[in-house]
Amino acid sequence: MKLTLRINGSVVEQDADPLARLSEFLRQVLGLTGLKEGCCEGECGACTILMDGAPVHACLTLIFQAHEREITTVEGLGDAGVLTDLQAQFAGAGAVQCGYCTPGIIMSAEGLLRSTLTPSDEEIRHALAGNICRCTGFETIVRAVAAEAARRCEAGC
Amino acid sequence: MEQVSQRIPLIDAAEKLTGRLRFAADMTLPGLLHGAFLFSPRAHARIVEVDPAGALAVSGVIGVWWHANTPQNSYNSSIWFAGQKALADERMFPPVVRHMGDRVAVVLAETEAIARAAVTRIVVSFEDLPAILTPEPTVAHAVAAAGVEEAIYPDPVEQVHFTHGDPDAAFARADHVTEAVVYTPRSHHCAIEPHVCVAWPEPGGRVAIHSPCQSVYAVQAVVAQALGIAADRLHVTKAPIGGSFGGKAEPILEPICALLAERTGRPVRIAFNRHETFTATRTRAASRGKMRIALACDGRILGRETDVTVDIGAYCTGGNYLPGSMLQRLVRLYAVPAERYRGRAVYTNTLPTGAFRGYGSPQIHALGEIVLDLASREMGLDPVAVRARNIVTPGALEPWQGLSLGNARGADCLHRGAEAFDWTRRRSAASGRGRFRTGVGMAAATHINGCFPGEDEATTATLRLTPEGRIELTCALHDLGCGSDTTLAQIAAEVLGLRAADIRITPADTDTCPYDLGTRASRMTYIAGEAVRLAATALAAAIVDTGGQALNAARSEIRLRGGQIEAPHRAITFADLAAWLSVRGTDTPSATHTHRATANPGSYAAHFAEVEVDTLTGHIRVRDYLAAHDIGRAINPMLVEGQIYGGIQIGMGYALYEDAAVDPKTGRMRADSFTRYTLVNAPEMPPIRILLVEEGEATGPFGAKAVGEIATIPVAPAVVNAVNHALETRLTELPLLPERVLDALGQGSSS
Ligand code: FES
Ligand code: FES
Repeated sequence: MKLTLRINGSVVEQDADPLARLSEFLRQVLGLTGLKEGCCEGECGACTILMDGAPVHACLTLIFQAHEREITTVEGLGDAGVLTDLQAQFAGAGAVQCGYCTPGIIMSAEGLLRSTLTPSDEEIRHALAGNICRCTGFETIVRAVAAEAARRCEAGC
Repeated sequence: MEQVSQRIPLIDAAEKLTGRLRFAADMTLPGLLHGAFLFSPRAHARIVEVDPAGALAVSGVIGVWWHANTPQNSYNSSIWFAGQKALADERMFPPVVRHMGDRVAVVLAETEAIARAAVTRIVVSFEDLPAILTPEPTVAHAVAAAGVEEAIYPDPVEQVHFTHGDPDAAFARADHVTEAVVYTPRSHHCAIEPHVCVAWPEPGGRVAIHSPCQSVYAVQAVVAQALGIAADRLHVTKAPIGGSFGGKAEPILEPICALLAERTGRPVRIAFNRHETFTATRTRAASRGKMRIALACDGRILGRETDVTVDIGAYCTGGNYLPGSMLQRLVRLYAVPAERYRGRAVYTNTLPTGAFRGYGSPQIHALGEIVLDLASREMGLDPVAVRARNIVTPGALEPWQGLSLGNARGADCLHRGAEAFDWTRRRSAASGRGRFRTGVGMAAATHINGCFPGEDEATTATLRLTPEGRIELTCALHDLGCGSDTTLAQIAAEVLGLRAADIRITPADTDTCPYDLGTRASRMTYIAGEAVRLAATALAAAIVDTGGQALNAARSEIRLRGGQIEAPHRAITFADLAAWLSVRGTDTPSATHTHRATANPGSYAAHFAEVEVDTLTGHIRVRDYLAAHDIGRAINPMLVEGQIYGGIQIGMGYALYEDAAVDPKTGRMRADSFTRYTLVNAPEMPPIRILLVEEGEATGPFGAKAVGEIATIPVAPAVVNAVNHALETRLTELPLLPERVLDALGQGSSS
């Protein structure tokens, strides 16, 4: 089946099995390996991407569900190799350790910050409840997200 | 100091944050083949026949391998170097499977999907053998679990007996004796990156192995033993690692992946899914420990008697070291004048166990710290005061190996931690009689710094000035995500007057790096850090020499500062110096240093927790937490704190939720997915305060010692002790699942 996906600002037209996992398609066909597969069961959040601006687990999303939708992966967040402000907050707060969960957590956090201007710590923690990080204990991650929320608020609202 | 003691971000943070870092699962190689395993559905059985025809008929399948067409060399997946003495009881594909999840066969195919589909078409007939699924009674093991090869399956696998002083006399004159049995569960690492390995043929009949591991040399040694080939035919490189915690310390996929690459002449990847990572890798060993403590009325420990059994599963791996490791850590926390210890490791027909953050320490500390807390309560003494009365002092010698514990600052952790936590007031506050009860609890802990004296504890580091004016560090280093690369770069940069980002670390590679034990035993900062500091000191001397010539200045006038080589009123950059030297045809300076440890000081910690227990549901919430750590000096306080936050998360899971128990009737591990194995997630984490005690360790780089493993060790007993305080219970079986809490309150189903 021919599918049209808008991925990181470009239109991708591709013949694909509509019932294949979106995460597999993004990683293997398009080479977008920033998103990881930690469980393929919707439990770990390593595969989190934004679909029309909202975080979803790409491993539980079938390709046809992404047809004509706006997909953003970690590769589409900023210019190649340059940290976005959110990513810079993570680096500065020590919110990344092994880095396997990190792109997924960045996408969940980005999704939260696009929908909630001034999230409380509790809202941040709940927004990240679908992401497992086994390294950081979440403390520094929550701080980084809160710092970025404050920065955006100051800059924009 | 410019670099040391600074909160410097990871030098590889950008690669990780942007998703550009290529993990082994992200690699593409032309002609890559994919492997998938058939695992044993039986706990203990002889394989009568394997019929691969159905799988071979699937289009895209390259081949099927099982015990009949693979090398049958016995090996031990936990050896660190060739020739290390170890019980070799594993095979790539054993003819007798010894646990559910044991490897029966592998299919290699053009895609992973084809390989996985074809696996289901292999037909195997088994002849069941009696299975031992619980560690007791141990006498049965020699008969039943031995299966066909009695000679290499001893029972117990290992036992350690140790007596110091006169325990019987101590108990005879004790004012108080407390005795309890503590159970710790089998638990799983849950690194977010599942196990994966890539291998490909290299010219000259060699095989390259690229895997997330903790030591390239350990992988080389294990694979060479399994394949029965010379180690130098294997070229092992470190892939970035998405978490390990010990779970990737033992090569599991590597022998088979390498064999298949050699057999087919094509690159091969084997990637476990989450289910397989749970059921076919390693776990932390479950333990049952009984402890008796003899105390004087003032809380002094007069004597102690410990009996521990660890269930190491179906293969030895490094499980034989557990009883000794547990003893080693037990005797390093309190000054106990009379000690009797018996520890044993026993086989069961369950998933093998292996290293997991602390290597026996979480188990032995759960036992020691929970029982000591019960003793304090029975005697009406304050748990902090009892610990402070007995904790070892700086320079103390431990009684087992006779080693100095170094600048052991456990007492500072206790006192400063208790004060900051407001312990005394919070401890005496009533826990309430209503539905929700609160309590506070604490625990102390110690851990080692490296493998001395058990192994030749040495690291060789080479630092070289590059033509670009940066410094290249060559050492078989494995940063597991803890930030050890950044820490070591800070150490080198501090000595050389550079920034951590100026240090480029070459990835661990058996072809280019000297032998190293790898990342284990809390040795990175303390051992590798000192090797790097001494190599940097030697390189700095060489740069001062040549810089003096370039600047026409005396050695004594030269300073290395801000990325420059400075003489009075003039300076050149490191890049200028490299260019100046190359114009003259002179080598750029480099220095190699081998640091061989002759000490193993202790790291210490005291953790304090407040919990709230819902007596209706049995649910426990940790509401507040404080961790005090004797760290010598924090090379990077931000990364040290990161280790502690993460350690608390894993320890809370150990105390409250995480249970990879094996069904004692079927041998099946129930926890085979994140849905059935509960972790502590962001909403459950309490507010955490961290206190660092930085009193310096003479033998550590800039006074530093380890934090990675100890961060998780006192957590479970601190939380359990808080629950026992809240409920006035004697809960000693981890994790504290709601039904266990309700049982203890007399409201459970079994009461
Ligand atoms: S891989 Fe999608 S949630 Fe784990
Ligand atoms: S940083 Fe390792 S899992 Fe999050």
